[in-house]
Amino acid sequence: MNQFNYLHPASTDQAVSSASSDGSKFIAGGTTLVDLMKLYVENPSTLVDVNDLPLAQVESLPNGGLRVGAMVRNSDLAFHPTVKEKYAVLSEALLSGASPQLRNMATTGGNLLQRTRCPYFRDVTAGPCNKRNPGTGCSAIDGFNRTMAILGTSDHCIATHPSDMDVAMTALEALIFIEGPKGKRSVPINDFYKLPGDTPHIENVLEPGELITHVEIPPAISTKQHYLKLRDRASYEFALASAAVVARVEGGHIHSVRIAMGGVGTRPWRAHEAEAVLTGKPATPAHFQAAAEAALRGAKPHTENAFKVELAKRCVIRALKVATA
Amino acid sequence: MTDDSTNPAQRRVVGTPQIRKEGAEKVLGRAKYVDDIEFPGMWHGATVRSTIPRGRILAIHFDESVPWHEFVIVTAADIPGNNHIQMIAADQPCLADGAVNHCDEPILLIAHPDKRLLPQAVASVRIDYEELPAVLSIEESESKREIIWGADTSTPNVFKEFVLQKGNVDEAWSSAACIVEGEYSTGAQEHLYIENNGMIADYSDDGGITVWGSLQCPFYVHKSLMAVFNLPEDKVRVIQTETGGAFGGKEDYPSIIASHAALLALKARRPIKMIYDRMEDLAATTKRHPSRTRHRTAVDKDGKLLAMEIEIATDGGAYSTLSSTVLSRATLHATGPYVCPNIRIRSRAWATNTVPYGAFRGFGAPQTIFAIERHMEHIALAVGMDPVELRRRNFLHDGDTTATQQIMREPVILDQLLDRALAVSDFYAKRERYARENATNPVKCGIGIAAFYHGSGFTGSGERRLNSLAGVDVTLQGKVRVLVSSTEFGQGTNTILAQIAAEALGISYDDVEMAPSDTHLIPNSGPTVASRTSMVVGHLIQRSGRQLIQTLKEAANLSDNYTRHDFFAACELLRARDGEVKSLSRYEAPPNIYWNDDTYTGEAYPAFAWAVYVAEVAVDTITYSAEVIDFHTVQEVGTVLNPTLAAGQIEGGVAQGIGYALYEKVQLKNGHMFNNQMTNYIMPTAQDVPPIHVYFEQIPFAYGAFGAKGIGELPHDGPAPAILNAIQNATGESFSAIPLLPEDIFLRFASYGLDPENITA
Ligand SMILES: Cc1cc2nc3c(=O)[nH]c(=O)nc-3n(C[C@H](O)[C@H](O)[C@H](O)COP(=O)(O)OP(=O)(O)OC[C@H]3O[C@@H](n4cnc5c(N)ncnc54)[C@H](O)[C@@H]3O)c2cc1C
Ligand code: SF4
Repeated sequence: MNQFNYLHPASTDQAVSSASSDGSKFIAGGTTLVDLMKLYVENPSTLVDVNDLPLAQVESLPNGGLRVGAMVRNSDLAFHPTVKEKYAVLSEALLSGASPQLRNMATTGGNLLQRTRCPYFRDVTAGPCNKRNPGTGCSAIDGFNRTMAILGTSDHCIATHPSDMDVAMTALEALIFIEGPKGKRSVPINDFYKLPGDTPHIENVLEPGELITHVEIPPAISTKQHYLKLRDRASYEFALASAAVVARVEGGHIHSVRIAMGGVGTRPWRAHEAEAVLTGKPATPAHFQAAAEAALRGAKPHTENAFKVELAKRCVIRALKVATA
Repeated sequence: MTDDSTNPAQRRVVGTPQIRKEGAEKVLGRAKYVDDIEFPGMWHGATVRSTIPRGRILAIHFDESVPWHEFVIVTAADIPGNNHIQMIAADQPCLADGAVNHCDEPILLIAHPDKRLLPQAVASVRIDYEELPAVLSIEESESKREIIWGADTSTPNVFKEFVLQKGNVDEAWSSAACIVEGEYSTGAQEHLYIENNGMIADYSDDGGITVWGSLQCPFYVHKSLMAVFNLPEDKVRVIQTETGGAFGGKEDYPSIIASHAALLALKARRPIKMIYDRMEDLAATTKRHPSRTRHRTAVDKDGKLLAMEIEIATDGGAYSTLSSTVLSRATLHATGPYVCPNIRIRSRAWATNTVPYGAFRGFGAPQTIFAIERHMEHIALAVGMDPVELRRRNFLHDGDTTATQQIMREPVILDQLLDRALAVSDFYAKRERYARENATNPVKCGIGIAAFYHGSGFTGSGERRLNSLAGVDVTLQGKVRVLVSSTEFGQGTNTILAQIAAEALGISYDDVEMAPSDTHLIPNSGPTVASRTSMVVGHLIQRSGRQLIQTLKEAANLSDNYTRHDFFAACELLRARDGEVKSLSRYEAPPNIYWNDDTYTGEAYPAFAWAVYVAEVAVDTITYSAEVIDFHTVQEVGTVLNPTLAAGQIEGGVAQGIGYALYEKVQLKNGHMFNNQMTNYIMPTAQDVPPIHVYFEQIPFAYGAFGAKGIGELPHDGPAPAILNAIQNATGESFSAIPLLPEDIFLRFASYGLDPENITA
């Protein structure tokens, strides 16, 4: 990897001001960033280490919600008693990702910003990639695209958003809190990620120097929750399709429901259409299927990943069944 | 010359689970792999590779942004000797000279003191090509629209062809109750040794070339370096460093990377280290040969095999490397462990513009065993017979002859292995239970079987040609050293050979160590391949030990009931007389062995290991994933020299076989592997591997070390067919190609539609 400067500020303010220069990057667990630096995909000139910042707390909020610091490790979050009790979908999603060693390092902030596993993106010798080298083209569209996205793609990029945690966070309607050179702000997770469009290298709304400080998760609409992940092997593997479901069932009917999908979209994929189909309907397999059809209505498969459309539907149906059981 | 192998009851060391010789060093992190070694003034090397599958090199441009004067650059013009790697033939250039025949073919080498500058420099070399149409599959090669190899031969595009005949196939079809045809194919597979390929080379005018590296066969590398540098034997020295796995992947490739590092060292006049990262290793080095096997089989009404016609095609890649011997083993395992009066096998290894395929555990056998063991399932269906029973009726027995007309002289106990496998796996009860439960369960379970043999050692006259030499000596420090070129790469060579030496000499395991794996210090005991180390080289060690004891008795009055102390005292007396204490033995073929290379008839292998494997699977018809849930293995491998290592070989081989069957897919585009990262090339993890139950039967083989036969490759042969047979049992669907990924299963089931009621948790 290239040479870089290394800073480790003790305060959030310092971190933000150190990171505003061009070519700086925050480093948290390093499980995404260091990989990409070794592959010369990311070449930051300065690393601003945020491990010393006081952002590692999980706190209950007066409204019944939860505040999760950006530096809370994935393992700690997954095993936090409140998360296990009230946000099981988040705990399940976290524990389905990576490996115990990685989860012990990986952080909430870093997970929100992990980057795609598209093989062309990760291989600087592999030819064009609009995400890596804007304007050069996309090798995946006519290439190896078995694991690529079928929702939210564009002619410029079809890379899958790889995260599990973010899918659960999307179903839980988390709010992301940001601190930057221009001050503080918060963004609902569903507005945080951008579709690739013709600028696939811009993946979210963060401005240079902006630091994620924490995430707030509102009280869940129900504890009937489930995260289902389908993948190529039993562990240590990203989703081919996943579904996070939070459902409030009253008298056998779906009062309200949140559905998000992973492994199939260019960003964590909230399935509003599927939710609309289900709301007010009996919690029956036929309605689950109608919801799954709605969730995948706009799906656009490529040469090798048509199977994902069907797989994702089955994933949504099964997750709904488990969550509402 | 049979062995008076010591009475098993009196053995002290052989047959016991000794601690691995190099285990502590590895566990403590002290073992030195090639990348752990640094030399003063050492530079780092990198390779510029072809980005097209076939074409002529028109021009090479060096981007001016790079300070090239700081680099050393090597082209084919810098090669002092023969620009060819010495494998079976010498057709693979060490560096492309004017033309390229596959993606990732090495063209230029560069070196610099700062290894961080190398990737950018490699990317700054631009090569203009005149592209030629590429041949990218067996079928394209067969069509001969493009001739890419052997244009001047009678069989263009064919590296090697075998035709094997027994009886008269053509006359058998008319008397058949049933004729069953099938086509089976297998994909490439990557070895995924933990340590990538890597090498350090140094050159001096006095000493010539020395290389240190991760490798299986020191004398293969030695031979190639002699040719590439036009140097005599004593001016080339190959030292194996601790090697982190190989599986055949370090059989031929180290000759290439060693030549590259040495060429840079010669030009730079300083030590050069070349270490591939995972992406380069996956993209540029060898893999298992993809294959296609067609079967046409005549059976009578009782399920007896009357005739087998088998056509095998393998994809060899761009150069011949080891394709002919891989094809040979594929051919010799194609009938499975069955007897049949009429057999015709025709096999060919085809040239394509892909990275050359090479050795990989099993060496062609897993490919054709997959085909025959799937085909037996189809035959059983066609004749309406239990597939287990069909196999039993056709098993080879003592005295039967194989496709090469080899008579089975050693005991064959397939029936016994099958009975034990059925019993330990509770086969019939499970099959019945699964069938009952599957009716109402979207997760369908099934159980499947595979029976097979694996020939131990080199094929036919191979061992005789190798003419291996191995032995022991005794150091001044009072240690017995094993002198072999057989290498340790995780499988246990050091431990096994030390156990054999200790047993043969009547001393303790701790008294024995391995001589450094250095071509200046060790005799050529042949390559560490073909499941031959314990059986063949181990036997040489056993003989050398016995010979040394005999000499000590004659020359130093060693008594019959000697102690350890007596032994070493006698050794010193011998040293006083001879100046050294050393005993070497050369390979001698077992008696009554004949082999005809032209007709491919005779004793194909001195011994066979036999096995029956039972796989159990669960296929989720909602998500299409197939999971192996239990695995039973029963095998006869001669004497088990070290039960822990032997079981480890079986477990590892089965895990690798599960990957071969259900997970690992090499995705090629233009002959370049595009999923050349471990995040995209999916191998099974510990969680994907079921409990693997290992059972041995032991029938000592008179010409193997203390009765041992080969074991290393056997366990890779059986899992894939057993698993696909189990999937057929579970789902009623028959699949004939591996790797079988979820989407392949899905395509079959998707057409049946989705019933949401069935999607249960
Ligand atoms: C082998 C492997 C398997 C994996 N499998 C899975 C899986 O199955 N499912 C899954 O979901 N994930 C998986 N992951 C990804 C893993 O979850 C992420 O790597 C991890 O969550 C990233 O967190 P980190 O703290 O290490 O991030 P880092 O690598 O430190 O940072 C990642 C990015 O976030 C930025 N960043 C970090 N913190 C902040 C902050 N507070 N504010 C602003 N920017 C910040 C960094 O600048 C960087 O760009 C896997 C990773 C590996 C290596
Ligand atoms: S899908 Fe996106 S990340 Fe992958 S090659 Fe195309 S542009 Fe690059």
